[in-house]
Amino acid sequence: MNKYLISKKIVTNDLSTFYSFLIGLSVGITIGSIILLVQGQNPIEVFSLMLRLSVGSIKSISSSLNKATPLILAGLGISIINSVKLWNIGAEGQIFMGGIALNFMYISYEISNSKLSIILLLLSAFIGGSICILLPAAAKVLFGVNEIITTLLFNYIIIGFTVYLVNGPWKDPNSLNFPAATYVGKEVYLPTIFGRLSYGFIICILCTAGVYYLKEKSVFGYELRISGGSALTAIYAGINAKQKAFIAMLIGGGLAGLAGGVELLSQTHRVSTGLSQGFGYTAIIVAAITGMRPLGIFLVGSLFGALTIGGTVIQTMGVSSYIADVIQATTLFGALISQFFFTYKIMKVSEDV
Amino acid sequence: MNQIILEAKNISKSFGKTQALKNVDFYLNKAQIHGLLGENGAGKSSLMNILSGIYQPETGSIYIEGKKIKKLNPDLAARFGIGMVHQEFRLINNFSIKDNLTLSRSNIYRDNFEEAFEKYSDIFSLSAESKTLINELSVGEKQKIEIMKLIFNNNNIMLLDEPTAVLTPQETNQLKISLKKLSSEDNKTIVLITHKLKEIQEFTESIFVLKDGVMVAKDLKTQNVTKNDLVTLMMGEIKISKVRKDNVKGNNKLEVKNIFFENNHSNVPTLENISLTVQSGEVLGIAGVSGNGQVELANIISGIEREYKGKVIVNGKNISNQGVRARKNLNLSYIPENRLGVGLAPGVSIIDNSAVKDYFKSRLGPHLSSNKMLDYLNLLIKQFSIKAPDPKAEVSTLSGGNMQKLLMGRELISNPEVIIAAQPTRGLDVSAVEALHELIIKQRDKGAAVMLVSEDLDELFKLSDRIIVLYEGQIVREFKIDEADIESVGLAMAGSIE
Repeated sequence: MNKYLISKKIVTNDLSTFYSFLIGLSVGITIGSIILLVQGQNPIEVFSLMLRLSVGSIKSISSSLNKATPLILAGLGISIINSVKLWNIGAEGQIFMGGIALNFMYISYEISNSKLSIILLLLSAFIGGSICILLPAAAKVLFGVNEIITTLLFNYIIIGFTVYLVNGPWKDPNSLNFPAATYVGKEVYLPTIFGRLSYGFIICILCTAGVYYLKEKSVFGYELRISGGSALTAIYAGINAKQKAFIAMLIGGGLAGLAGGVELLSQTHRVSTGLSQGFGYTAIIVAAITGMRPLGIFLVGSLFGALTIGGTVIQTMGVSSYIADVIQATTLFGALISQFFFTYKIMKVSEDV
Repeated sequence: MNQIILEAKNISKSFGKTQALKNVDFYLNKAQIHGLLGENGAGKSSLMNILSGIYQPETGSIYIEGKKIKKLNPDLAARFGIGMVHQEFRLINNFSIKDNLTLSRSNIYRDNFEEAFEKYSDIFSLSAESKTLINELSVGEKQKIEIMKLIFNNNNIMLLDEPTAVLTPQETNQLKISLKKLSSEDNKTIVLITHKLKEIQEFTESIFVLKDGVMVAKDLKTQNVTKNDLVTLMMGEIKISKVRKDNVKGNNKLEVKNIFFENNHSNVPTLENISLTVQSGEVLGIAGVSGNGQVELANIISGIEREYKGKVIVNGKNISNQGVRARKNLNLSYIPENRLGVGLAPGVSIIDNSAVKDYFKSRLGPHLSSNKMLDYLNLLIKQFSIKAPDPKAEVSTLSGGNMQKLLMGRELISNPEVIIAAQPTRGLDVSAVEALHELIIKQRDKGAAVMLVSEDLDELFKLSDRIIVLYEGQIVREFKIDEADIESVGLAMAGSIE
């Protein structure tokens, strides 16, 4: 009787995640093309236009990178939390909470020095994200409550809270009944480096480097890896696994909160339900495709930012912007499947064990 | 004459390269209680799994009431009335007792459940009501429900795999009375798997002994055999390849004083008044069947388990209140029994696993340099001849022997003062065992105090200077190696002390 057994490959390929991303991307583009063909569009024409409008000029490149910034920051947060094999599905809520905490600081305290003010506001956005994940994190380490469910549900709570704020206490009287908070003052806008590219992107680069150090080079990151591998090994090694997981979750939530803060100060300039356009969810895709590698998150996040910008502008051709979403989702699908074949092999065994 | 209800002839079964059963004959007399005795890994569970249709043997045939059964599967076995209680309970925790008992379609007490439940509650002296949920029951009560389940499913042949392992002495006694009633009043044929001699003598009428997959004794009448006979049969002749033990012994390096420890997960008190010392250059063997408190003792000494009473002293320093890291800093190494899961983290790379012992020390830090970690791993690979093709691959891709070498190398490379090694060679092939034994002896000669926990008497006699026997959380005997013999250690391990 022949049986098939799935087993881990003994030698891993360092670039396997990269290859599987490329395979996934080609799957995404192929499926996107088929959909375009069915709609009677010429895929080559559509894609070349998307390419031109997303990376064809300084102006479009900077728009793409601005779009990428929240994806990358939230993705980095997800990646830190995943070091202990936990999933943060709540980045979307944490982004909003970051914006809310920032706005709360802005209207509560007045700081004359605008640079200091920006730093403090971003810090409060970070803390806002951490507060948003505090309860799921505590429930996880104290009672073992599944963090996937709790972080996901917190999205709905926070978005509901946002709706309340922008329709109630924070509603801008000059917004012609549009539910949004009052704009923040121009003095706290994040300045631009060139074109439209905001300093948020610099923060993004710094955070990528920081998360890379934390995950790969620091003792803390090592402790997270061991705790994620086996809680018993962590105890055996003298690591307080629960404490490390808790801290990792607060940092991860904070990074998503920071994403919301950067987005507010550089793009929307006010709290509204449009502060995040699903960045927290797309960030999960970005993090998963890259196998949680910080540098990968930076690159794929940038690409996805460009895709989103490209998707928005091709609407003028009568093509739905959802084509960008389709490509993102099918890329993840293809990449995850090919990652499986890079890490496992299927063996034929003749005897049943 | 006894009527033979089930017979298995010439059964062989192998798993991969290891042969679990070699041409085994086995039979059961109707309405008797049989004991199946054997060390861990002797093939007891494999044989029971074949009789209940879970495994298919490679050779041999099974006859039930004289009829040859071609291919026994679990469904067929159940129809012929063969039922098994596994070591891990297979009850549905959030169902009531009644639901669990009547779950199977072969249940025979559908209409008169209450009546039958009352009758068997009486036999098992179970006080719980039938609507009680399983998760509200104690371990002993769950065990009773497991056995009752067999009765309700009309299983006349009941295979019980180590039923007493989780029971207190009182509960064990109670189980004995219940089983005797079942065999005499209900005509149940019962097989009791155990390695406790006292139980096998008290419970059973007939004894079978398995040794390394071979049935070395068949249908011995219990009243005619002595404990010594059984120990010899179970353990076999042990060829003791002794190592030199004339090295210099020094000061007491490890002292354990009056340790009391209660295990929260079971009602059996796990450690009672344990005191021992190990000198520099000495190997102290801890013998005992697993589950008699060895893991708990090792965890207490290494600092993993903190909720205990008593003292742990290393090199004259009382470390009873210190954590794992402080003890590591005193150069105490612990090689845990569970190599993958405790000693090594599965799903984490080989290189990360190689640094578990002292990742927090300055040698690798303050920033964990992958080059330094790699150098360290390569040193381990070279010094302990580990075969690890890719440092970044997950540790679970290594073979068992290489995993253990990595683990032991990591723990021993710093020439520790005190070494706690639990089952260091279990499941490994001869050459790996030899290599690992050499490592332990080398450390002993360098002046380490070694506490070796093992179930393998061959290993204990080979390496130890003294042997202590743990039974149900107590030190029941202590032997100097020259005065120890296999028989008396074996008897003590099985809970029988003259």
